[in-house]
Amino acid sequence: METLMDELKTKIIATLSLERVKPADIKADDALFGTGLGLDSIDALELVAMLEQEYDILIEERGVADKAFASVRALADFVSTNRPQCP
Amino acid sequence: MSLRSPVITGRGIICAAGGNLREVWESTRAGQTGLGPLTLFSSVRYASHLVGQVRQDVDRLCGRLRGSRSDKLAWIAAREAVQSAGLSSSLDPVQPERAGVLLGSTVGGMLGTEQFLIRLLREQRRRFGLLRFHECAGAADLCSRQLGARGPCATVSTACSAGAMAIAAAAELIEAGEADLMLAGGSDSLCRLTLNGFGSLLLLDPGGCRPFDARRAGISLGEGAAMLILEAEETARARGAKILARLTGWGASCDAWHATAPHPEGRGAFAAMQQALQRAAVQASEIGFVSAHGTGTPDNDVMEVKALRRLFGGRLPPVASVKGFFGHTLAASGPIQAVLCVQALQEQSIPPNLGFEQVDSRLGLEPVREFRAHPVSHVLSNSFGFGGNNVALVFSRVSAGPSEKPSNGAVENSSDEPDTTVPTTSALHRSSTPPPQALLAVLGAGVISAAGATLAEVFAAFRHGGATLSFFDAPAALTPGRARVYACGEFGADQFIDPGKRRKLNRLQQMALVTARQSLPAAALASASRERICLALGTGLGSLNDTAAFVENLVLKDERAPRPLFFANSVHNSLASQVAIEINLAGLNSTPVQREICFETALWQGANELVGGRAEFALVGAADELNQYAMAAGLRWGWWDEQTPELRPFARLGEQQPRSADIPAARSTRRPLPGEGCTLFSLARADRALPSQPLAWVSGVRIGRFATTAGGQVDADVEAQWVQATLARAGVSLTQLDLLLTGANGWPPLDGAYADVAAALSRLAGRQIPCGAYKHCCGEHHSASAFGFLAAIGLVRGEILPSLCCPLGSDSTPPDRPCRMVVLYTLSLGGAKGLCCVRA
Repeated sequence: METLMDELKTKIIATLSLERVKPADIKADDALFGTGLGLDSIDALELVAMLEQEYDILIEERGVADKAFASVRALADFVSTNRPQCP
Repeated sequence: MSLRSPVITGRGIICAAGGNLREVWESTRAGQTGLGPLTLFSSVRYASHLVGQVRQDVDRLCGRLRGSRSDKLAWIAAREAVQSAGLSSSLDPVQPERAGVLLGSTVGGMLGTEQFLIRLLREQRRRFGLLRFHECAGAADLCSRQLGARGPCATVSTACSAGAMAIAAAAELIEAGEADLMLAGGSDSLCRLTLNGFGSLLLLDPGGCRPFDARRAGISLGEGAAMLILEAEETARARGAKILARLTGWGASCDAWHATAPHPEGRGAFAAMQQALQRAAVQASEIGFVSAHGTGTPDNDVMEVKALRRLFGGRLPPVASVKGFFGHTLAASGPIQAVLCVQALQEQSIPPNLGFEQVDSRLGLEPVREFRAHPVSHVLSNSFGFGGNNVALVFSRVSAGPSEKPSNGAVENSSDEPDTTVPTTSALHRSSTPPPQALLAVLGAGVISAAGATLAEVFAAFRHGGATLSFFDAPAALTPGRARVYACGEFGADQFIDPGKRRKLNRLQQMALVTARQSLPAAALASASRERICLALGTGLGSLNDTAAFVENLVLKDERAPRPLFFANSVHNSLASQVAIEINLAGLNSTPVQREICFETALWQGANELVGGRAEFALVGAADELNQYAMAAGLRWGWWDEQTPELRPFARLGEQQPRSADIPAARSTRRPLPGEGCTLFSLARADRALPSQPLAWVSGVRIGRFATTAGGQVDADVEAQWVQATLARAGVSLTQLDLLLTGANGWPPLDGAYADVAAALSRLAGRQIPCGAYKHCCGEHHSASAFGFLAAIGLVRGEILPSLCCPLGSDSTPPDRPCRMVVLYTLSLGGAKGLCCVRA
């Protein structure tokens, strides 16, 4: 799970072009939105696209997105639960 | 009510609920939705979504007329509107120069552009012809040509409020005396970009939109067009027209909040509605029906109800969103609502809010459930677009008693305006006396161009004989060889934009933001409240690179993982809305897109807000960027070929080619070299205390369409008379004109047309009026005339000598004489034209 969280932090930073943020700056249980990262609703949707691109997870409802992006840990849980398993 | 108050004498409509007004109105009466399956194109992801697709055979209905699907929808509605107004297709007895067209468009010919990219990326075939009708401005050009209208011609692209904005702008033109009749409305076709774009924002409801319903989940995308014939009351009565309703009020505002989400409390929506009521001199309690924007998204509906409650205090009148019948038709939605509002007033009946079943306790709103008779004298119609562009319209019954309205004089008359906030801080001082009849003062300017990113750099480039060209290597699959282009260099984005903000702004948006900050004096920003600074930022093609990236991904990845940021940025008004958000500008926010005159349109709108007393300062300008597809198409294909039907006015059949301006062009084909750039200016009224010494003075702003001879060529004599008359109206004599500064670009047919007009002006004036150009410093792009305006300023300030402006049309260059007055004159290949007069 730690590896996945690190991986997600890197992808969040890359997807959202957060140039001055390092993975270590994002704490696992901090709220991703409504905090110092300054992310807004379009950033959330960019992460939805990232999840589809990188993990084959399709989110089609705002409510699901809101829960998944509550924190990096929440996102990691969401990804490990929902990513398609390799056959 | 003044004699110039706009009245409605005709209307036309086509959408999923019907091919004409009778059919659409019947659908609303029967509660019959037009939403259905998507068959216009295939979609991997949205194949089962209900959409509002027009079922009529649009191509067959337009016969041999050529244009995009959006263009054709517009013409179908326009044709019905003209006929219903009792006018022939030549608009007789209205004089051509007194009739104009103002439309809203967001999609334009994107459907064809998508097909171009599909062919290119999947089949490696270069079907450049598919790009031919890409422009949003195409529908206004087409309708104007069909009707022979030569008055103001423009298109605005403010997302979902574009069509309503067009109606409001058309009303302004009529009240200002610029036209007696305006075809006003909007059109948009379905396309993959918008379907996938809204999908990427999670704003689509597959099962059909349910405005204001507790279980609403988003929009249904739709397509269509609707048009009004607006006329000045005096001229409508003079020709014996039947008046269907009055357009009594309109208001526009900007949330200055977010690119796609509305302000949660609806502050901008409230401001627009309040403005519309004030302009109509109608109390909220007199409104009998609200035609809501009501898209069915969770956010819009919440916001709209809050704003409505704030406006109406205790008791809301009947409210209905009609989007359940045909979906969200984007630029057509405001005009479609307008047409239905007019019908409601005529029949004293109101349409229902189809799709609604269950009250949302958080809204506490029960909209109109069924079509019913209802006495109604005044109706309010809302359109709220991405970027927080809000427009509200008030329509009134013909027999409703006239209310006292403040008169809004023509743009040139500024004496009667209600007193506005008078700046009193010590930072403001009276400037030097403006020349007589100068309407506006240019307070500041910001520029990013191939010639440089400061005024000093730009003027130096003129002195050095032109801007430095860059090389552009498009992919070989697109166009072989290297192209020379007028690309912009670095422009100090770091200095003006916070890095946290920069990450979401594309290059064109950054350019707009930097030039906006440079052009607006700090003193102006400090002295005026945010609602009293307006912004009109024109663009021909918008953020084409992000648009192309979004569609490329759709094609290459079969709609997988679309990037919502690219979609949000591809909406034309994303430039203006980002500037408004950053600088906090809440006044009128417009995005004109009429190709080469998008700047002149912006200038007119800004000037009109100032003269009308609705703004203290106006930021006006235009921006366009280089893009490999546009460049390849322009350099390789028939966009610059006088055999193309639309370009016939520039052809010189059998005659010798005129000498062109000495501007670099593509070597073998003499096609103009593409450029890019952003130029913005801040303006204020000349008769007010100004915060700083102006750069120059402006008057005589006017837009229209150029005249052609019986043979179909640009009629230089009629054009010269138009220039003379426009100057005379501004109190300027031709004898004072020192130089005609034109959009000549090195393509001989166009340059020749400009030279001819200058020659005709010289004959009228009885002295030689030199004709100059500026595109050797900025290249060819739709926003170039904004750069030209800067060149005009440079000329009248003595920073640039006339001989540096590529004089054309005369073998002997006249000696450089001081330029005190320069006319900027721009012809659009689509048929429109723009003019303004710059003075020292």
